[in-house]
Amino acid sequence: MKGRLSLVFLSVLIIMSLILGACAAPAATEAPAATEAPAATEAATEAPAAEPVTIKYWHTMSDPETAKLDEVIAAFEAANPGITVEPSRYAWGDFKTALLTSIAGGDVPDTARMDIAWVSEFASQGALMQLDGAMPDFDAIAASVFPGPLSTNKWDGHYYGLPQNTNTQVLVYNKASFEAAGIANPPATIEDFVADACALTDAASGTYGYAQGGTYFWAPAPLFYAMGGKIVDEGITTATGYVNSAESVAAFSMMKDLYDKGCMSPNLLGGGIATDAGQGTGIYAMIIDGPWMVDIYKANYPELDYAFAPIPAGANGTSSVVGGEDVVILDGSANKEAAAKWVAYLMSVDAQKALAQVGVVPTIASLAGEADMPAYFAVFMEQLKTAQARVPSPKWSDMDTAINNAYQRILNGDQTAQEALDQAATEIDALLAQ
Amino acid sequence: MRNSKARNQIIPAVIFLLPGFVLLGVFFIGPLLYSFRISFFDWNFAHPDRSVFVGFTNYLTQLKSQIFHRAVLNTAVYTVITVAIKMTLGFAIAVILNQSLRGRTFFRVAYYLPVITSWVIVSLLFTYMFSGMGGLVNYFLKDVLHAISKNIMWLADDILALVPVVLVDIWKGVGWATVIFLAGLQGIPSELLEAAQVDGANRWQRLMKIMLPMMRGTLVFLLVVLVLGGLNAYVPFQLITRGAPQDLTHSILTLMYRATFSRMDFGNGAAISYLLTIFVFVLSLVQLKLLRKPAGE
Repeated sequence: MKGRLSLVFLSVLIIMSLILGACAAPAATEAPAATEAPAATEAATEAPAAEPVTIKYWHTMSDPETAKLDEVIAAFEAANPGITVEPSRYAWGDFKTALLTSIAGGDVPDTARMDIAWVSEFASQGALMQLDGAMPDFDAIAASVFPGPLSTNKWDGHYYGLPQNTNTQVLVYNKASFEAAGIANPPATIEDFVADACALTDAASGTYGYAQGGTYFWAPAPLFYAMGGKIVDEGITTATGYVNSAESVAAFSMMKDLYDKGCMSPNLLGGGIATDAGQGTGIYAMIIDGPWMVDIYKANYPELDYAFAPIPAGANGTSSVVGGEDVVILDGSANKEAAAKWVAYLMSVDAQKALAQVGVVPTIASLAGEADMPAYFAVFMEQLKTAQARVPSPKWSDMDTAINNAYQRILNGDQTAQEALDQAATEIDALLAQ
Repeated sequence: MRNSKARNQIIPAVIFLLPGFVLLGVFFIGPLLYSFRISFFDWNFAHPDRSVFVGFTNYLTQLKSQIFHRAVLNTAVYTVITVAIKMTLGFAIAVILNQSLRGRTFFRVAYYLPVITSWVIVSLLFTYMFSGMGGLVNYFLKDVLHAISKNIMWLADDILALVPVVLVDIWKGVGWATVIFLAGLQGIPSELLEAAQVDGANRWQRLMKIMLPMMRGTLVFLLVVLVLGGLNAYVPFQLITRGAPQDLTHSILTLMYRATFSRMDFGNGAAISYLLTIFVFVLSLVQLKLLRKPAGE
C-alpha cells in the first residue's frame, strides 16, 4: 500500500515537473532570440502598414491619470486604425527593476514613460532608441517644448526621449498655521523663510515650521538652487568649486541651522512623520513639494487649508528643481514606426491638454498661458521658468548618493558643511573621471 | 542477460530523472553560470555583446569598498544574534509547550502565527513602532518607563536602525524554531525521561544529559538552516532600513540588489552575490566539519 502511494506521489511529481519543464523551455529558447532584436525590427518595419500592431506602453501614473490615459489611448486608436496601445501601470518603486528585467530578458515594452533622471542611464547602455534623425516629427516636437525638460533626454549628443510631462516643487504652506502665528504672507526670501520656519515651530505641541521629505537631493534641491547652489560646471567635467562653493555650503548650512534649532522636523533622517501626513494633520506648517499634492490632499486631507507659493528667493532670485517624465522608445521594440506615432501623439496638444486636466503639467511651451489649464498650474509654470534640471549624466544616481551622504553627515554633526561637501566634490569628480 | 536488464532499468531511470535535471539546469545551474560570467564584465544589460571584460575588477572594487565591509559585518552580526536568540528562545518555548499544560494548542498556534504573517506587513509595523516621532517604542521608553529624556531617532542611526531589523526577524522566526524543536522533543522516548526521573535525575540533568544529546540532529539541522537564512537576509533590511543612513545598514543581499537594480551595475551585483556564495560555501564546510557526529556515536 505504502509503495503504491509513493508511486502515485512520484507520478504526480513527474507530471508537474513535465508541465513546468514545458513552460520553461520556450521561455529559455526565446530569450536569446529576442536579444537579436535588430533583425526582427527591420523585418517588422518593412512589413505592410496594414498589419495590426500592438504598442506596449509602461508608466507609473496615478489613478486619475490612468483613467484619463484610457481616453487618450481611445482617441489615438481611433485616429490610427490598426494600432492598439496596451498600457501597463507600475508602482514607482518597482518600475526601474521591471524595466531592467524586461530589457535584460529581451522582452521589452515598445514605449515607456520614465523618470527624467533615468534616460541618460538607460541610453548609455543602448537600451533606448535614438529619436533625432529617426523619428519623423522629432524636430517639430522638440522645438515646441520647454528646453529644460527636453535637455534631460540628451545623452552623448543625441536625444533618446521626449519630455512627456514636467513638474517642479514649490512652497506648500498651511494657511491656518500662518494665521495663528500672525504671519500674513508666505516667505518671499530665504531670510523670511528661516524666520517664519522658527516662528511657526512650537516644541511644546510638537509642531514644526518646515519639514523636508528626506536627504536625497530632490528634497533640499529647491532651496539649494534658490540659494545659488550648483553641483557641477556647465560641461559636466568637475564638481570641485561647484558642489562645495560658498553658495552650496551656505544652503546646506542654512538647513543644518534650522535642523539644530528644531525648526525643521527630524523626519528627513528617516523614521519620522512623512511630509504630506504631517502637513495634512497640522504638524508641519511648510513643506516643499509638487503639483501632485493637490490630488493627495483632496483625497486624504480635504479639510486642509493650504496654498502654493514660489520658492523663497536667494540673492539671485527664486529657483527650484525640474522633475517630470520622458517618453522613450525601447531599442528592442519590434514596432518602432508605430511606437513613434504613439509617442508623437502623447506629445500632441490634444493629449497634453487632456492629461493636464488631472494635474499633469504639460511641456508644450505654447500651453503655458492657456486659460483652460487648472488654476494652480500658474505658480508651477512660473517656477519652471527658473527651475534647474539635475545633472543629466548616467552617473547621476551615484552623484545623488554622494550629496545625500554629505547632507546626512552635516545633519548628524559628523562634519561641517564645508568638510562634507568637499568630500562630495572629491567623490563626484572621481565619478566624472570614469 | 544481466547487462540488458540493467540497461532496461537505466532508460526509465533517465526518463524519470530528466525533468528534474532540466528544471535544475534551466532555473538554477544556467543562471548560476551566467551570473558568474557577468561578474567578470562591465556588463551592458541591453546589449550583452557590448560588455567589457574587466577581470577581477568588480571583485576587487567590492573587497576594497567600505560599504561592502559594513554590509558583511551587518550580515554577520545579524546572523549571530538572530540565530542564537531564535535557537535559545525556540528551545525554551518548545520545552514548555511540550508539557501537558492548559491551552497548549492555543499557544502552539500563537507562537507559529508570526511565521505565516506577511513580511511586508510585519516590517511596516516594526517601522511604525520604531518611528522617531510618535513611535510606540519611544512612547514606552520615554513616557511610560522614563528611561530616556528625548525621542530616539532609531532609523536615522546606523547601529540603532538594526534593532528593529533584528527584532522583527526574531519575532517572526522563533515560532518556526519552536516547531522544529517540538518535533525533535517528541522523538525522545518518554521511557528514557521516566527512567531518569526514577533514578533521581532532576529537571536540569534530564535536560542536559538526555534531551539535548538526543536532539543533536535537530540542533544541527536548525543551526545550518538558520545560519544560511541569516546570511541571505534581505527582506527586513530592504523594508525597514533600505541601507539608510549612508548605506551603512545594508545586508550583503540588499547591497547586491542596489548595485544591480538601482545602479544598473550588473557586474558588481554579480560579484557581490559570488562573494556571498564563497562565504556561505566556506562556512558550510566549517559547519559540516565541526558538527559531524563524533566517531564514538
